[in-house]
Amino acid sequence: MEMNAMNVKHVLTTCPYCGTGCNFYLQVVEDKLISVVPCKTDEISRGQLCIKGYNAHAFVQHPDRLKTPLAREHGELRQISWEDALDRLAKEIRRIKEKYGPDSIAFLASAKCTNEENYLFQKLARAVVHTNNVDHCARLCHASTVTGLLYSFGSGAMTNTIPEFGDADFILITGSNTLEAHPIIGSHMLRALDKGAKIVVVDPRDTPLSRLAHIRLSQKPGSDIAWINGMIKVIIDEGLVNEEFVRTRTSEFDKLKEVVMGYTLEMVESIAGVKGKDLSKAARLYAKADRAMVAYAMGVTQHSNGTDIVMALANLAMVTGHLGKESTGLNPLRGQCNVQGSCDSGGLPNLFPGYQRVDDEQVRAKFEQAWGVELPEKPGLTLTCAIKEAALGKLKAMIVFGENVMLSDPDLTHVEEALKELELLAVVDIFPTETTKLAHIVLPAACYAEKDGTFTNTDRAVRLLRKAVDPPGEAMPDWKIACELAKRLGAKGFDFSSPAEIMDEMAKVTPIYGGIDHGRIDRELIRWPCPTKEHKGTRILHAQKFTKGLGTFAPVHHSPPAESPSEEYPFILTTGRNLFQYHTGTMTRRSPKLEREAPEPYAEVNNGDAKRLGISEGDRIMVSSKRGSITLLARVTERIIPGSVFIPFHYAEAAANRLTNAALDPVSKIPELKVCAARIQKG
Amino acid sequence: MISKGEDPGDVRTDVPYQLITILSNLYPWMTDGKKIAVVTRKCDEKALAEFFKRGYFARDRVIQIGLACNREQIRQCRCSDPVPSVVDIGEPHGGLDTDALSEKLMAMSSEERLRFWEYQFRKCNKCFACTTNCPVCFCDECVLEERTFVPERGVPPGMSFHMIRAYHLSDKCIECGECERSCPAGIPLLTLRKLVARDFKEMYGFSPGDEKTVSPLLTTLEGESLDGDECDEC
Repeated sequence: MEMNAMNVKHVLTTCPYCGTGCNFYLQVVEDKLISVVPCKTDEISRGQLCIKGYNAHAFVQHPDRLKTPLAREHGELRQISWEDALDRLAKEIRRIKEKYGPDSIAFLASAKCTNEENYLFQKLARAVVHTNNVDHCARLCHASTVTGLLYSFGSGAMTNTIPEFGDADFILITGSNTLEAHPIIGSHMLRALDKGAKIVVVDPRDTPLSRLAHIRLSQKPGSDIAWINGMIKVIIDEGLVNEEFVRTRTSEFDKLKEVVMGYTLEMVESIAGVKGKDLSKAARLYAKADRAMVAYAMGVTQHSNGTDIVMALANLAMVTGHLGKESTGLNPLRGQCNVQGSCDSGGLPNLFPGYQRVDDEQVRAKFEQAWGVELPEKPGLTLTCAIKEAALGKLKAMIVFGENVMLSDPDLTHVEEALKELELLAVVDIFPTETTKLAHIVLPAACYAEKDGTFTNTDRAVRLLRKAVDPPGEAMPDWKIACELAKRLGAKGFDFSSPAEIMDEMAKVTPIYGGIDHGRIDRELIRWPCPTKEHKGTRILHAQKFTKGLGTFAPVHHSPPAESPSEEYPFILTTGRNLFQYHTGTMTRRSPKLEREAPEPYAEVNNGDAKRLGISEGDRIMVSSKRGSITLLARVTERIIPGSVFIPFHYAEAAANRLTNAALDPVSKIPELKVCAARIQKG
Repeated sequence: MISKGEDPGDVRTDVPYQLITILSNLYPWMTDGKKIAVVTRKCDEKALAEFFKRGYFARDRVIQIGLACNREQIRQCRCSDPVPSVVDIGEPHGGLDTDALSEKLMAMSSEERLRFWEYQFRKCNKCFACTTNCPVCFCDECVLEERTFVPERGVPPGMSFHMIRAYHLSDKCIECGECERSCPAGIPLLTLRKLVARDFKEMYGFSPGDEKTVSPLLTTLEGESLDGDECDEC
């Protein structure tokens, strides 16, 4: 829609917040973003948005945006030219690589950047700097989904699609505050609820969705395998196993059976605090339903045994055979607009684009041929391990595209020490952040509204971003920055004139994206795998067989969290999001209507605990762990179980991650952000 | 250029967007004084009347191209009043006399009805779609964004949120149904509006959307003294 009289545009694009991937129109008048209009022809959002979506224009033209490159001189960040900034950065990378070797440098890709950009970031790391040290914040959210589901099914993504929730007759939601963290996925669930579906929520917190559920189980944080194994035992004991599915589609059922038989209802109740009667009822409802879906998120993944918990859920789904059909499946809800895509595009230290292993010789040979360079075979450092290596002085440089590790990562005091050890910290971002404060070089990037490209949402739909306005000042899209930097490092293969061209190259080397190009997805909704131009994409994974052939049951046992409450730290601290803020708040805290709704950091404390400690609603309290202390407001509520305290991680002024534990899941290296021991004192 | 009676060709006239909401976003930028042509269904025509009445749009700048909705659109919107005063495009079809859900609710006991709405409002996720997409929600300061009435951070925001909105719109809602269509929680907000409108019409004999009638909720004081026998305790 364009008018001559005044320059008005309605630009269809994809929301920059959660992984739902809602499309909407940005309303632009004379290069100013004035509003967001929902898109009624979009299958996923159906003309509906959450409060963050409606405010997704609000931060874009905020005066705080980074507008010029900055470099640290005499302790201060000062404006410099792009030429100077890129030259300095390339020179430093070259110096450090020569002095300490390529593996002394790590790249952080970004779940906020496009597929095309992430493809270039990992190409830059692997083909130009010759290191596999490339990772991103998926490490902090669904790393254990990728490792767990790759083992169980052969593919670490949502098995089914978002609209299918609306037609399910049973939904089990665990570790997901869906209505706040993925509101439009929640709306599809509400559609099912209105039609009579049974909803079961397993969560230590009372959430807007759990309050509407038919059965609500409040497990102790860190006890998930106990209740999941208990549920599987009920299904086996009551003869509700889908025998045919187990026989024809899976392997290792006997091993699973042996393990879960120990999980009696009494034992589960003692570990998880979940009533046996309710658990059996939920198990029966799930096993007997026709169209039963399971959805989960960070409450499952962010544990030091996150991979095991994900595999336990996969076991549960396979026992009942609720997989491979319409409105079934095991569905990890991914939290960032492009966290699925940044994994797909190879922003992972052990995987090339399309989940192809870097230590597989054939795969490597393919990429060496495509990129015309020799490639390193040793898997690189994960984000969490890179921080640890930096603290030890082994890692010397980090180039960060659009991440705010100084607020999002666990044990921030340690993160800060680690980053200060680096000889080079370069950050590319749209706003000044807690991380740019420590950077040597800061480069201003274009945001989602200022560039073309694609995001892949949580149900594997590859969705277009379309440029609506110009970036502020001298800011540039990340893909251009990556190309410019690569050229200055003497690389070939970075002469792209548009994101569409980058996608064409990515599709050639990434079988699951083989049939995807910008022209096609401009016209149709395509979900990967989409191997050829004729292929329509795949809505439901594992339909005839699992990606890996037979699904594998993994016999997993309950193990306690890395840190248990003690006399000194008697509470369990768990962290998460609220509806109105998003992650480290760089965007939402600059959106007036969102900030107005949730302007201050707070801790949710159970009313019984509060009474015992003499804490009233609105009191200032100090919450401490072995790693630090923060002061914030108390919200006294029944909505969290006794003995636990919840703090959202959005707020720099009382950063929950000052307290969290960086204990890692041994397989996926995801940190245990959901459980640590804490103390509460009146302020 | 399309003249009256001509086939508009590929021009779609069934675009399911609330055009007056879009126009009201853009209007402050339309400072060149040029005419603005708007395809107007009956609900759009009524929304425009509410704008004109309050002086928010200049009456002489807006050219209305009347669009009669087809039967399917009328059914989907549960519309009782679909024919614009001048039909330029489409064939006029009559509206629906009843709204099935309204009838069902009015047949319930008041306790049952309360439980129905309590369930519906518990699904609310405070997205403000009902106000954002509403063509006649045009206050500069929104009472729903004020903490006195709607606590910050609360999800769901509670019944008062919906009641305040229902009453606040009682003399301007034109029953376009955009609030209901854009509600991610599937709350039947159009039915709520219809029920309020029914009461309002019975009590005051007034229906919104007519440029010539003034809301009975507005009082004009002409030369009268403000002193009276009202409560003087506060």
